[in-house]
Amino acid sequence: MSEAATPVLRSQRVQRRARAALGICAAIAVLAFYPFILPRALNFGVSLVLFAALATAWDLIGGWAGQLSLGHAAFVGLGAYTFTLLQRAQVPMWLALLAAVAACVLLAAVWGFITFRLRGAYFALASIAVAEVLRIVSNNWSSLTGGPEGVSLQDLPPLFGLDLYDRRVEFYLGLALLFVALMSALYVAGSRAGFYLEAIREDQDSAMALGVNPLRVKLVAFCASAALTSLGGCLYGIYLSFFEPQGVYALDLSIQLVLMSIVGGMGTITGPALGALVLLAFQEGFRNLLQQRSLLIYGIVIVLVVRYAPDGLSGRVLRLYRRLWPWPSRSPSAS
Amino acid sequence: MDLIGFVQTVASGVLTGGVYAMVGIGLSLIFGVMRIVNFAHGEFMAVGMYIAFALFRSFHLDPYLSLVVVAPAGFLLGAFVERVLLAPIQNAAEHSLILMTVGVGLILSNSLLLIFGAHPETIYTSYSTRTVAIGPVTLSVPLLVSFALTVIVVAGLFLVLTRTDLGRAIRAAAQNRDAAELQGVDTRFVQTAVFGIGIVLSMAAGVLLLPALYVFPTVGGIFTLKAFVVTVLGGMGSIVGAIWGGLLLGIVESVGAGLGATGYRDAFGLIAFLLVLLVRPQGLFGSSHV
Repeated sequence: MSEAATPVLRSQRVQRRARAALGICAAIAVLAFYPFILPRALNFGVSLVLFAALATAWDLIGGWAGQLSLGHAAFVGLGAYTFTLLQRAQVPMWLALLAAVAACVLLAAVWGFITFRLRGAYFALASIAVAEVLRIVSNNWSSLTGGPEGVSLQDLPPLFGLDLYDRRVEFYLGLALLFVALMSALYVAGSRAGFYLEAIREDQDSAMALGVNPLRVKLVAFCASAALTSLGGCLYGIYLSFFEPQGVYALDLSIQLVLMSIVGGMGTITGPALGALVLLAFQEGFRNLLQQRSLLIYGIVIVLVVRYAPDGLSGRVLRLYRRLWPWPSRSPSAS
Repeated sequence: MDLIGFVQTVASGVLTGGVYAMVGIGLSLIFGVMRIVNFAHGEFMAVGMYIAFALFRSFHLDPYLSLVVVAPAGFLLGAFVERVLLAPIQNAAEHSLILMTVGVGLILSNSLLLIFGAHPETIYTSYSTRTVAIGPVTLSVPLLVSFALTVIVVAGLFLVLTRTDLGRAIRAAAQNRDAAELQGVDTRFVQTAVFGIGIVLSMAAGVLLLPALYVFPTVGGIFTLKAFVVTVLGGMGSIVGAIWGGLLLGIVESVGAGLGATGYRDAFGLIAFLLVLLVRPQGLFGSSHV
C-alpha cells in the first residue's frame, strides 16, 4: 500500500538522501540569486534566510528530539550579546564568534543536564525561565550590557574586505548558515543519531531498553542546536546593529521559531525553513493589518495547527497532494 | 536590615505568597488530574484582573465584590477551553498539549492588548494605601484582605475535595484515571470541572492582587512563570506543596528585594526553580512522581 509498508533498502535510503542533498543545494543556489533579482527587498531576504536557519536549528531539538524549547531566544540573545560585547572590547572577530558559540553550548549543556534527566514538561518549563533570567540580568547589569537602553554594534572591521553592514554580505552569511543548518538536519534525518532521537521522541522507555542513552543523545542534539542558534544570534546582532534585552531575549522570538517549525512540519528537513518563508511572507504581506495583532494571530495559528494539522501544514499539503496524485509505485531502478 | 525590618519584609512576603499559592494550586490541580501543564495559567489570571478592572471603572464595583462575577466567568471560560480545545487532543503528544496552552495564552494576552491597550492601569480604592500596625510591624490592608480571602478560598477548596462526591471523583481521577473510570467516575466531566476550578483559582488570585499591582496585558506571562516556580518548589501535582511553595516564593522575593536587588526580584524565584530542578526535582515539600 503505502511506501512505509515496504522495507526500505539501504541503497534506496542513500539514494533518497543524495536526492535531498541535491535538492537543498539547488534551493540554496536559486536563493543565491535573490540579491540580484530583488535588490530592493534585501531586508526581507536577510530575515528570511536568518529565520529559516534559526527555525531549522530549533527543530533539531524541538522536532527531531521532541523536546519543546520555548526559550531559544536565550541562545540568540546570549550569542548576540557575547559577540557584541567582545567586539566592542576589540577582541578579534573570529575569537568573539567562537566565544559566543562556546557560551551558548555551555549554557545548553548545563540547562540540558538539569532538565533532560527528568520526565515530562520540565524542559519546556525551564526553557522559559532560562531566557527570562538572562533577560533580567541583561536588563539590570547595565555596566556590562548597557541595560534596558540596549547596546550598539557600530564599527565592525570589514570581513575579508567586505563591509559587514552591507545587506548583501549579511544575506550571503545568512545563506551559508542556512546551508549548514539544513545539512545538519539532513545528517540527522539519515544517521544513527537521528534514529536515536526519533526513538526517544516516540518512546523513551523502549529506546532505553534498546541501549540508547537518552540524556547523552538529547544533550548532543541540544548543544548542536544551541551552536547554530548562537551563530544566528551573532548575525542577528550585526543585522540589527543595535538591540536591547527586550528584543533579543523575548518570548515572542522563541515562539516565532517554534511556530515556523510547527507550521512547516516538525521533524522534517526542510519544513521549518518553509515555515519561515510562509510566516515571514504572511507578516510582510499583512504588515498593516498585523501591527500589534501579530502575536494574536500567531496564537490562533498555533491553536488551529495543533488541533487540525498536528504534523504541520507541509504534512497536510503533502497528504492532500498524494491523495490527488497517488505515488506511482516506483521501483528503485525507475528513478 | 534590622530585625523589625526583616520581620516586616517576611510578613509582606507571606501575604503575597498566599496569593501566589492560590495561583499555584490551580496549576497543580490541573496537572494532577489532567497531566497538562497549563502554559496559559498566568494569562487567565490577567483576564481576571481586567474583568475586575473594567467592572471597577464602569460601575465602581469594589474589586473584592467582583469576585462574585469573576468566579463563575472563570469557570465557564475554563470549561469552554477544556471542552473545545484540550479534550479533542488529550491523547496527543505532550508537546502538542503544551503548544495548545501556549497558543491559548497568546490569544488571551493579545486580546487584552487590543481591548485595553498596552498602557499599565491601576485602580485606586479608599483602602489602597492604608496600612495597619501590629506592634512595630505595618502591613498593607489590601494585601491582608487578599490573604484572608485566599485562606477562605483554599479552605473551601479543601472541603470540596475531601467532603463532596465531586471532590472524591477528582482525587480518584488524579490517582488513577482508568481505575476511577472503572468505578463509574465520569472522568470526562471531572477533567472539565477541574480545568474550570483551576482557572477560577487563577482568575480570583488576579482579582485579589489587583489593588496592589499595576495591570497590563502581558502581566500574565510573569505569573505563569511564578506559578511554575510555586508548583515545582512544592512538587508537581501536590496541592499542599503548592501552598508551601507559594509562601516560600513570596518570602524569597520579598527578602531579596529588601536586600536591595529590586531589579532582580523576578529572577530569584526562577533561579530557585532551576536549583530545585537540579537537586530535588520532586519538589521541596511533595513526593510527586517525576
